Amino acid sequence: MEWNATRRGFLAGAGSAVVAGCTGLVPANEGTDDGPVTITDFRGSGPLVESRSAPGGTAIADLPDLSGDLTVYLGGGESGLYTTLFDLFERIYPEFSVSVQPAPSSQLANTIIEEHQGGASPADVFIAVDAGSLGAVADAGAAGTLPGEVTDPVPDAFKADNWVGLAGRARAIPYNTEQFSADDIPTDVMAFAEDERFQGTMGWAPTYGAFQAFVTAMRILEGEDRTRQWLKGMLDQNVESKKNEFLISNFVAEGELGAGFANHYYSLRVQRDRQDAPLALAFTENDAGALVNVSGALPVAGTDSSDLVARFVRHLLSAEAQEFFATRTFGYPMIPGVPPVGDLPRVDELSPPDLDLSKLSDLEPTLALLREVGAL
Amino acid sequence: MSSFPALRDREDGPGAGLTLLAGGVAVAVLAPLFWVVVRAAEVGPDRALSLLTSGSTVEILGNSVALVAVVTAGSVLVGVPLAVLTTRSDLPGRRFWTVAVSLPLVVPSYIGAFAFVSAFGPTGTIAGALGVPVPTVYGFWGTALVLVLYIYPYVFLTTRAALLSFDGRLVEAARTLGDDRRTAFRRVVLPQIGPAVAAGALLVALYALSDFGTPAIMQLEVFTQAIYVEYGAFRRGFAALLSLQLVAVTLVVLAVESTIEAGDRAAYESQGGRAAARIRLGRWTGPALAFCTLVVGLALLLPLAVLGWWLVRANSYSGFAFEWSFAANSVYASSLAALACVAAALPVAYLSARSDSRLARIVERATYVGYAVPGIVVGLALVSFGIRAVPGLYQTVPLLVFAYVVRFLPVAVGVVRSSVLQVDRSLVEAARILGEPPRGAFRRVVVPLIAPGAVAGGALVFLTAMKELPATLLVSPTGFDTLVTYIWLVQDAGSYGQAAVPALVLVAVSGLSMLVILSRGRYDG
Repeated sequence: MEWNATRRGFLAGAGSAVVAGCTGLVPANEGTDDGPVTITDFRGSGPLVESRSAPGGTAIADLPDLSGDLTVYLGGGESGLYTTLFDLFERIYPEFSVSVQPAPSSQLANTIIEEHQGGASPADVFIAVDAGSLGAVADAGAAGTLPGEVTDPVPDAFKADNWVGLAGRARAIPYNTEQFSADDIPTDVMAFAEDERFQGTMGWAPTYGAFQAFVTAMRILEGEDRTRQWLKGMLDQNVESKKNEFLISNFVAEGELGAGFANHYYSLRVQRDRQDAPLALAFTENDAGALVNVSGALPVAGTDSSDLVARFVRHLLSAEAQEFFATRTFGYPMIPGVPPVGDLPRVDELSPPDLDLSKLSDLEPTLALLREVGAL
Repeated sequence: MSSFPALRDREDGPGAGLTLLAGGVAVAVLAPLFWVVVRAAEVGPDRALSLLTSGSTVEILGNSVALVAVVTAGSVLVGVPLAVLTTRSDLPGRRFWTVAVSLPLVVPSYIGAFAFVSAFGPTGTIAGALGVPVPTVYGFWGTALVLVLYIYPYVFLTTRAALLSFDGRLVEAARTLGDDRRTAFRRVVLPQIGPAVAAGALLVALYALSDFGTPAIMQLEVFTQAIYVEYGAFRRGFAALLSLQLVAVTLVVLAVESTIEAGDRAAYESQGGRAAARIRLGRWTGPALAFCTLVVGLALLLPLAVLGWWLVRANSYSGFAFEWSFAANSVYASSLAALACVAAALPVAYLSARSDSRLARIVERATYVGYAVPGIVVGLALVSFGIRAVPGLYQTVPLLVFAYVVRFLPVAVGVVRSSVLQVDRSLVEAARILGEPPRGAFRRVVVPLIAPGAVAGGALVFLTAMKELPATLLVSPTGFDTLVTYIWLVQDAGSYGQAAVPALVLVAVSGLSMLVILSRGRYDG
């Protein structure tokens, strides 16, 4: 009895339709899944996306083919979108197939570590939404290594020995362009707690994970005392607490807030729906305010498909896949050839702090600090 | 009943085989938790002590214990009156209310809590409609309220079963002897249904201890939440230590419940000859109907309305389309879990119902431990256990089913055990007198009598397994997507619209199994 049911089995019907379409047995207009895969299949839609020029970087056509089976542990968040991307790869390479095990990133990291200690993990690749989960697996010795030619296109800040970033989430300062000009926004995040111009007009989301990661970064970079001082300074500025950073970006667009702290893509979502909103993004430099957290991939130790894993990860860094992340999730592309949506600086033009992203999982002192100053 | 002591001893005294079988089941479901002990032991004694006595751990312990107490009391206060109203009163539409007040159990608590927050949260529908701030739903009381609303049916179902099999003539006898209605209830009815209420309350208490979704959404710091934080920071040792502390609380709860349930076991045997006269509600009919409406509105209509809202209004931009095979996978794994749990529950329940020995008691209690341990802990323990002990079965359906047995065996044990207790021993003796050997008497008398209970226990396991999320995510075979893993996937990506259809399918399928459970009562309505 074969107990291992795979997604491949469930998709067999859809797969054969694709093959039939390619060989002309079915009219080509039968479904959108037929025909050759083009950049349009990767790219999202909407006003921010339609005018984009062709992405730079290495095209899939110039990469070595994918062939064989991979088991991917797929961590949380946008994993539904990842499966769409894998489906496109499978359409390009009929000999290639991916089986996916989705679960929260940190739980999959714990699982891989347990599997590694007890024998061998069935996973070939681990894709996580945060560098902390990747770092934990690497620290436990449960990760293999990626060849340099795979990770070369990605700036050093977004990769480590064992893993490489696939798409980023940049901390940013959304501001209302009717209340501030670009020059008004400091490049030092610490200045927001002191500058009188930000009295009574800033917003933050202290219960939100991305904000807490930002405070964690500040703790690591500036120390506990300066972070406490900054938090108290912001409270003295009468910073307004909101439930999440999408709300903050919306309030800034409406002018109810002058500026705020939020991940970059929330403003892009606001702009997608309201192109004339008086909303722009600024980035601080070399401090916690410029933190870029990434989702990334690592080869799982003991995989017997390490060549295929390397080629697969290289495909995730191809021009088309990076365009996919940029336009469908408004993620920050990791290769300079693909610009982010919305006239933002390219990844190599950002000034992220020098910080080991995997340390961001140390959340508890941050929560204690937020509670101590009364922000939570 | 001492006329056939020899027969009785042979029928009654649980054989060594049965004891061994039941003991084996208990050992099997406890075995994976061995890995929790191993992980906890990796933490040095000094750090362990400082973690367990730290201010936040003590606060978490306090929150958890208080939550268990309040949720259990609340579930009894909601479940018992509803059971009395739907079985013993002249409440209009009793059949309808019986089904309606049972159904909240099929709603996964993470969906229920989410619905509650979207309606009553600070930026929710109600606050928006009223235009004024509403009292916060977050924190202790919000968590307790939501948990009561979605798990009181455990108390309702066990109490209802006891009331249906209760001999109404006893009340009439008490009335004849001069007791007023209230005294008769206290002196006759309560002692009879007490063990059933306690059995349901035990499931409620341990569920409240092990649930992660509700406290997480309602922002209350309890054991499960702290355990998730430790796993999230990759401190598996600390997470395991906290889990052991939670197991210690569980053992206290089990001991407390033992003292209640150890009452007169013969009380169960009085299979009702006929029901007592119905309680006339009179002018209390209105308030009673209002109470039922309020409970059903909050616990069933509200989440369904939120799911409907998602269906028509929420965004759906994640690329992963729903497939009916996810529902088939859920039903497949949950059905196997129901069968496996009933099979494993039979020896445990039979031994515990027919023996007063300490060993029988310990074996039965041991099966409850896995139910109180959060799913993520069971899931990771099964990863460690599976990859080492049964690598050939790792990430297969049998291991997933085993995870469900570890988590939900007591749900079946409780129901099957009360069925065994209700079997009138004189029937078995009669069969023996008529020449049946013990095994034949068991097969021809006991099995038919406990079969409905076994089916109901299996159905209860089925609907519980259908909504299980944390262990399913970790232990299921690669590519084996179920309704809950799909709901989690799209909900986590913010595509609530895509979560609506699978969630409604889940509620509908589990709702059908609830009808199986309710049909066991022979003269309801």
